[in-house]
Amino acid sequence: MTAPILVLDRVTKRFAGHTAVDGLSLSVRAGVIFGLLGPNGAGKTTSIRVIMDIFQPDEGSVQLFGERAGRDHSARIGYLPEERGLYPRMRVLDVLVFLAEVKGVPRRAARLRALEWLDRLGLGDWRLRRVNELSKGMQQKVQFISTMLHDPDLVILDEPFSGLDPVNAQVMKDTVLELRRRGKTILFSTHIMEQAEKLCDELCIIARGKKLVDGALSDIKRTRGGHHLVIGFDGSAGGAQQVFADKGLVKRVDDYGQYAELELAAGADAQQILQRLVASGARLSRFELMEPSLNKIFIDLVGPEAARAEARPEGQAVHA
Amino acid sequence: MRRVWAVVRREFVERVRKKSFWVMALLGPLFFAAVFLMPLLMSRGGGVKRLALVDRTTTTLGAVVAARLDSTQRFFVVRRLSGGASVEDSLAREVGLKSIDGFLVLSDSLTQTGVAQYRASNVSSLDDIGLLRETLGRLAERARLERAGVDPTMVARAQIRVSLDTKKITGGRTTEESAGQSFSLAYFMMLILYISLLLYGVQVMGSVIEEKTSRVIEVLVSSLKPFQLLLGKLLGVGAVSLVQFAIWGMSGRLLLGQRAALVSRMGGVDPEVGQVFQVPHVSGATALVFIAFFLGGFFLYSAMFAAVAATCSTEQEARQSQVPVTVLIMIAFFGSFATLANPESRLAVTLSLVPFTSPIATPARWAAGNLSALDVIASLALLLAGTLVVTWIAARIYRVGILMTGKRPNARELLRWIRTA
Repeated sequence: MTAPILVLDRVTKRFAGHTAVDGLSLSVRAGVIFGLLGPNGAGKTTSIRVIMDIFQPDEGSVQLFGERAGRDHSARIGYLPEERGLYPRMRVLDVLVFLAEVKGVPRRAARLRALEWLDRLGLGDWRLRRVNELSKGMQQKVQFISTMLHDPDLVILDEPFSGLDPVNAQVMKDTVLELRRRGKTILFSTHIMEQAEKLCDELCIIARGKKLVDGALSDIKRTRGGHHLVIGFDGSAGGAQQVFADKGLVKRVDDYGQYAELELAAGADAQQILQRLVASGARLSRFELMEPSLNKIFIDLVGPEAARAEARPEGQAVHA
Repeated sequence: MRRVWAVVRREFVERVRKKSFWVMALLGPLFFAAVFLMPLLMSRGGGVKRLALVDRTTTTLGAVVAARLDSTQRFFVVRRLSGGASVEDSLAREVGLKSIDGFLVLSDSLTQTGVAQYRASNVSSLDDIGLLRETLGRLAERARLERAGVDPTMVARAQIRVSLDTKKITGGRTTEESAGQSFSLAYFMMLILYISLLLYGVQVMGSVIEEKTSRVIEVLVSSLKPFQLLLGKLLGVGAVSLVQFAIWGMSGRLLLGQRAALVSRMGGVDPEVGQVFQVPHVSGATALVFIAFFLGGFFLYSAMFAAVAATCSTEQEARQSQVPVTVLIMIAFFGSFATLANPESRLAVTLSLVPFTSPIATPARWAAGNLSALDVIASLALLLAGTLVVTWIAARIYRVGILMTGKRPNARELLRWIRTA
């Protein structure tokens, strides 16, 4: 296991009247895609701002790259804030060079990289246009480029997919995966579970500033919500009945003769059932482990109240 | 430091690229030239006035007056006539038809009690009226002297006026600067300082608001310390102002060099008017004092403007909230203006020691009066100290405020920002 690149230790951040982040601890290993999930107003943006040293935590501490966090690390972090913004009257290329320069990239190198990225994302012809002449999606891409120009080791994206059309969301997803291939670490926040389910290696679900669960996506799926097994028989069920009767493996069974749905017992391994079924002479046409979707886990955890909150228009319940 | 430099460069380049910068750069000298030339233009009135002269005198005075008025080249006596009150009515109608500009009624009472009547469509040109009064006065005086048997040329010789040659002494040496030059120099320095402090302070404010409303600020504060950002902003806008001054200075020199030619092209000018607004002599020391106090004042006021902007979320809000800062600059300007005539008064000294007013008051006193180097250094030291304190407070308000949106903070919240930031 690689050393964590980012550690939050019991971080608490309060604002007048409410606690936005409440004793949040988490650890992000280098080279993974980490999802920070939660309903609107859960404290995702505040947590990210604490990581970025924009807010000082009231309690707890943040460690980046094995050291105490601070702006000294900003050159190694790429940050896409939730509320996007560029200088509207500046030229695209100038904005990019400037934003790279304040991260400490020499001017010449910043220019070259900006041009390269603009070409890669199909904005090469727009480099001398003013930002406010660009469409919203283009501006988002420009802003995304600005988070990459200093070649950061850690990329923090706050709601990177919000406001993107399917084509650009695809571009964003590909870029995130490409970053991981190059050994970068990506932390992104979202309240869209389908996205997280496809991208995240590890994740943390928070609500009302508190952590509900964290860990590898597969672990969470295994431990949260029962595992369901669907089995189809090809003619002969063999000694399947005995296997299903083992309470150490199967908690509940719904047997249709040629087809059965099982809920696994706690700690049971589906592979063991497969071995026992084959050994008992059963012929299988189907053996499928049905994991609950992340969406289901999320809703079970966060509760119906949060599910309602999710339906609210975007950004309304976000705290500063 | 490279990061601060990037901010400085952005502020500078983006501003100098704007059309408005060049409009200001070109309009500035024109504006100041207009202020210089205005008194000259105004004194020339509207060309030669055509007058009718109603002569009810029993002497030759009427003819003498007509000849003398013609010789001023400002009045032309169209005709000389006598007659009763009905003449005045018909002449008034002629004025209404604009066939003449006015008429003058003379009688023997001019020499006896010194009374004459002037009726014209325009009696607001003080120079015309003054010239008329002076001409009539001299002639009446002469007539009275002659009647008393005194030789007017003897009296004229006895009455030769004193021409007081005033030159300012600076550092124990007589300069080539006259009283008029000192006044106009002080006046223009105050005007430029006042306009520039407002202009560039508001630019800093606009820059802060732009970053807040466009939300760029969040990326910026994740890269730079807010103080670095503020510093870069002030240095960048400050550099723009210095370039602006350089352009103004050079074009101003050029314009002033051509002033004599310009004035002569516009025709003769009353020498007295010319004297009030004379070409000031700007010494190196004066330029240095000007720049030093401008920069001090710029940092002081711009830091305040930045803090105000940081507490606001929109430009409209900022425009309303800037009033206290703007009023301070106005106090500095009008206070200095009021004490210009008496640069050694207690008020003038106070104004040039208080950091909020000294950026305008001290250069004005330096130009008008005769401040010692020690006075200037004391004032500058206080300004520097004040600027440091104000910038420190402003930076704390700034670093909290730039990330806040929504309701503006009240005084108590502001205090908490300053303490806890």
